[in-house]
Amino acid sequence: MSNAMLIDLTRCIGCRGCQAACKQWHDLPAESTRNLGSYQNPPKTSGKTWTLISFDEITVDGQLDWVFAKRQCMHCQHPACASACTVGALHKTADGPVAYDAAKCIGCRYCQYACPYDIPAYEWDQTLGLIGKCDFCVDRQAAGLEPACVKACPTEALVFGKRSDLLAEARRRLARTPHNYVQHIYGEHEAGGASMLYLSSVPFASLGFPTLAAEPATAYTELIMRQTPGIALGVAAGASAVYWIIRRRQMMQEQAAAPATVTTAESAEEVQS
Amino acid sequence: MTNHWIDLKNSDVILIMGANPAENHPISFRWVMAAKDRGATVIHVDPRFTRTSTQADIYASLRSGTDIAFLGGLIKFILDNDLYQKEYVVEYTNASYLVHSDYTFDAGIFSGFQSDKATYDKSTWWYQMGEDGIQLMDRTLQDANCVFQLMRQHYARYDLETVSNITGTPVADLRRVYEAVASTGRPDRVATIMYAMGWTQHTHGAQNIRAATIIQSLLGNMGMAGGGINALRGESNVQGSTDHGLLFHLLPGYLAAPRAKFQALADYIDANTPKCSDPLSANWWQNFGKYAVSLLKWLYGDHATADNEFGYGWLPKLADGGNYSWLTYWPTMRSGKIKGFIAWGQNPAVSSTHANGVRQALEHLEWMVTVNLWDTETSSFWQRPGVDPATIQTEVFMLPCAASVEKEGSITNSGRWAQWRYTAAEAPGEAMSDGWIINQIMRRLRQLYAAAPGPNADPILNLAWEYGEGEIDTHQVARQINGWATSDVKDKDGNVIVAGGKQVKNFTQLQADGSTACACWIYSGSYNEEGNMMARRDPVDTHPQGLGLCSNWAWAWPLNRRIIYNRASVTMRGEPIDPARALIRWNAAEKKWEGDVPDGGWPPGERLPFIMRRGGRARLMGPSMADGPFPEHYEPWESPVFNPLHPQETNPALWDLEKDAKGATHAFPLVGTTYRVSEHWQTGAMTRNLPWLAEMQPEMFVEISPQLAAERGIANGEQVLVESARGAIEAVALVTPRFQPFDIGGQIVHEVGMPYHWGYTGLVKGGSANELTPPVGDANTMIPETKAFLCNVRKLPGGNGRKEV
Ligand code: SF4
Ligand code: SF4
Ligand code: SF4
Repeated sequence: MSNAMLIDLTRCIGCRGCQAACKQWHDLPAESTRNLGSYQNPPKTSGKTWTLISFDEITVDGQLDWVFAKRQCMHCQHPACASACTVGALHKTADGPVAYDAAKCIGCRYCQYACPYDIPAYEWDQTLGLIGKCDFCVDRQAAGLEPACVKACPTEALVFGKRSDLLAEARRRLARTPHNYVQHIYGEHEAGGASMLYLSSVPFASLGFPTLAAEPATAYTELIMRQTPGIALGVAAGASAVYWIIRRRQMMQEQAAAPATVTTAESAEEVQS
Repeated sequence: MTNHWIDLKNSDVILIMGANPAENHPISFRWVMAAKDRGATVIHVDPRFTRTSTQADIYASLRSGTDIAFLGGLIKFILDNDLYQKEYVVEYTNASYLVHSDYTFDAGIFSGFQSDKATYDKSTWWYQMGEDGIQLMDRTLQDANCVFQLMRQHYARYDLETVSNITGTPVADLRRVYEAVASTGRPDRVATIMYAMGWTQHTHGAQNIRAATIIQSLLGNMGMAGGGINALRGESNVQGSTDHGLLFHLLPGYLAAPRAKFQALADYIDANTPKCSDPLSANWWQNFGKYAVSLLKWLYGDHATADNEFGYGWLPKLADGGNYSWLTYWPTMRSGKIKGFIAWGQNPAVSSTHANGVRQALEHLEWMVTVNLWDTETSSFWQRPGVDPATIQTEVFMLPCAASVEKEGSITNSGRWAQWRYTAAEAPGEAMSDGWIINQIMRRLRQLYAAAPGPNADPILNLAWEYGEGEIDTHQVARQINGWATSDVKDKDGNVIVAGGKQVKNFTQLQADGSTACACWIYSGSYNEEGNMMARRDPVDTHPQGLGLCSNWAWAWPLNRRIIYNRASVTMRGEPIDPARALIRWNAAEKKWEGDVPDGGWPPGERLPFIMRRGGRARLMGPSMADGPFPEHYEPWESPVFNPLHPQETNPALWDLEKDAKGATHAFPLVGTTYRVSEHWQTGAMTRNLPWLAEMQPEMFVEISPQLAAERGIANGEQVLVESARGAIEAVALVTPRFQPFDIGGQIVHEVGMPYHWGYTGLVKGGSANELTPPVGDANTMIPETKAFLCNVRKLPGGNGRKEV
């Protein structure tokens, strides 16, 4: 049974110990940043920043909340990135991590286009490989250790364990204090399920989490990839395959989109101005 | 902390006020969450909705500097609704004491005010004494002159509407907070209070804590597991440094520093030894002489003898009435009286209030030594922006030093745990440990004094300084802190209890006759003949009910007591007030206490629990305070509103040495406050130089409400100017609904807030919030009022300041 992580946003205090611990363990470089009117920094995950905490000011029923959400690769059960990869540089391991092999990667960036979570990031100056993303601390897991981010978390907002156990724990929390949560385990079914499982007090769409159908994104990417063998793929064909994948991703999102019931601070601001 | 970090999990109600622990003490939230998991109610009272507020069941906003109004309303609420624990209040507090009949409080001023000196003569605040030397009491609490009735009368003015008009907190929110906290005024519920600099850094900071004392005493929450008043210390070892005599008016172990009027040791000891004839009072400070003499024996070794008063004459004495606190340094330095300055592990050019005044003061020095990990704003003050280095004559020496993880020693956390730690990495380059550096300084001083003894050579030459040539052995120092017998210590009957040369077991073996030496009595017991107790690492919870005492992990002062005043958790009959949280319990069969180390081993009922108070009882009325026996709401030194309670706007006993630094409301209409963020540490020297943290919070910012931003035409992310009467800095405007304007009796008051971590050195640079804060201090502690002051925010002149991204 594969490993997973339960990320309970209701327990997160936004301290970013996880964000720093990830960089420390993997010796990732800092980015040059500016304060753009938010605590969130760097603004986006990248090959240098494999995980970050997003900061969303949200008003629910007239009540202000400030929600912190750890973002990183979801380690999908059926990873679209892996099926889009023509050279097998990405693959889902039995233990859970979607691992990346820099030696095989040719830098085509298909994974980047395929991922429904916009995770793989192309890095021109990346020493660890051309693509950078959370590796679920495969090295630590192999040594019997929990991931560095989990180790750093003071509030047990991050829990590491077997996926089945964590799903059971998540259900227990939803049942025990139902008023604390939206009744949704994000990552249980999204795009065929993931190793990263989330609980939240506000709808995930309000935090910008993509709304995805339960169908794996891979079914389609695998199909298209099988028809376009290996690295002999022509540029034009490659581009159209990628277009097809992106189109497919948009369609999936549209299908699954639920009406958002909350306004974010930004949109509230737009209304004011 | 009266309690400790793990103990937070035992609370039913956690009031977080004047603190932002999710951001500044994130690890504490492990235990706050554990309490929440048990069903505890978490309350956060703060001007700004912070990362802590996100975890609160109740969030209430209040205008900075109005905590006493908020808490005074809570006191009234508890009294009006009879929600206090009667037996506890009568037995364990001074509620029943009769007060001097001339005590008054009128128009915002307590009796005894001497306006020419801006100080109080406190004689009318004290108790009426009986012929037996014990205070007169009315245990029915009905006498109009008893503390309880005076307190009721004092807070009668603090009704919900009045409080709301001062604090800006909506009445409904006040009521919710009051009901939740007051729900613990019964045996089976307990509340804790977590506070930090948001309470202390005010001109009435000490009185904020006093108000908490009153509330927790009325509710019977002192001495209880899950209760207490818990100061979240802002530096990892600030507890240890305070314990060991960091402050100007204290010697190690909180012994009062000698004053010039006490030229004889006997007079010094006598003046600091409280007398009490009540047999129920342990009056622990009656042992002052033992601790003072043992300290002198440690300082001067064999040179300290009974004949020379153990070297007391060599101790420097504070001038009578002299004040040498932080705020006094800088005007004194600017006047040229201070020639040299050692900035050891500190960065006052950023950390100090009125930082521009500090930076200018440093220019008057002949020399300055900085001991630090980094080049800081202090060490580079002479090349700061806008200054021509050629005009500054100060010679600056920078000594690189080892970081805390690069040396072995103890560190004391907020919960009074002294924990031993080891060298994790060698210090880089020429960086040396603090011990090595001070040893070299001391050795050379002694050589110089020995070669040419001047008038003050004796204190230097007679000091027992036997630490060898290089590194100081921290184990040797730790053993000296514990204390040892310099010769055989004998009991009344002549039996040897400690042989000469052996470590004392704890401070109960210290003597006033020179037969023991001890560097800090409260740590006595931490490194005795059983070994280094601070190095213990047994994580097992020793309490049968799982209260998280973990008594064999490290060592807590005093005597490994994890929760102080714990005798208040049992009745005078010895029954635990809350049997489900039986912190200590009397085993009648074996005639001993079980659980935590009790505040003295006397059987139940033989002594009152508050053993460090002369009379053994907690003080609802505090007659030793400098600025009044009851906390009273005064406006901050700089405030945009009038005090609606009385014509006395501000604390009449506050410390304002630099009156001309005060700003006016018309020029600076906004309330400003300062704070820290998770990502940076204090002045940023350690964190603005660390790329992983610098990228998370790269720039100085000011948080402002959308309403204020709209008024000023300021967009989120725009560069703006923040000004006060002391300075002006640039910052990124962070427009956020987490700040909301206050309705203060119909007047709209805007508050803005800034972190204080930035300066002109380091990887990421920015304006220092302390360029704006005022040089004014609390009446008791002289701590600067950096949490509430007047400022203004406006668009950068000439340009829309919109950032290029
Ligand atoms: S989140 Fe994206 S990168 Fe990560 S496993 Fe899923 S598809 Fe691949
Ligand atoms: S699992 Fe490892 S790689 Fe992924 S975010 Fe956590 S620390 Fe970083
Ligand atoms: S370490 Fe834990 S609490 Fe802190 S930001 Fe990360 S997930 Fe949240």
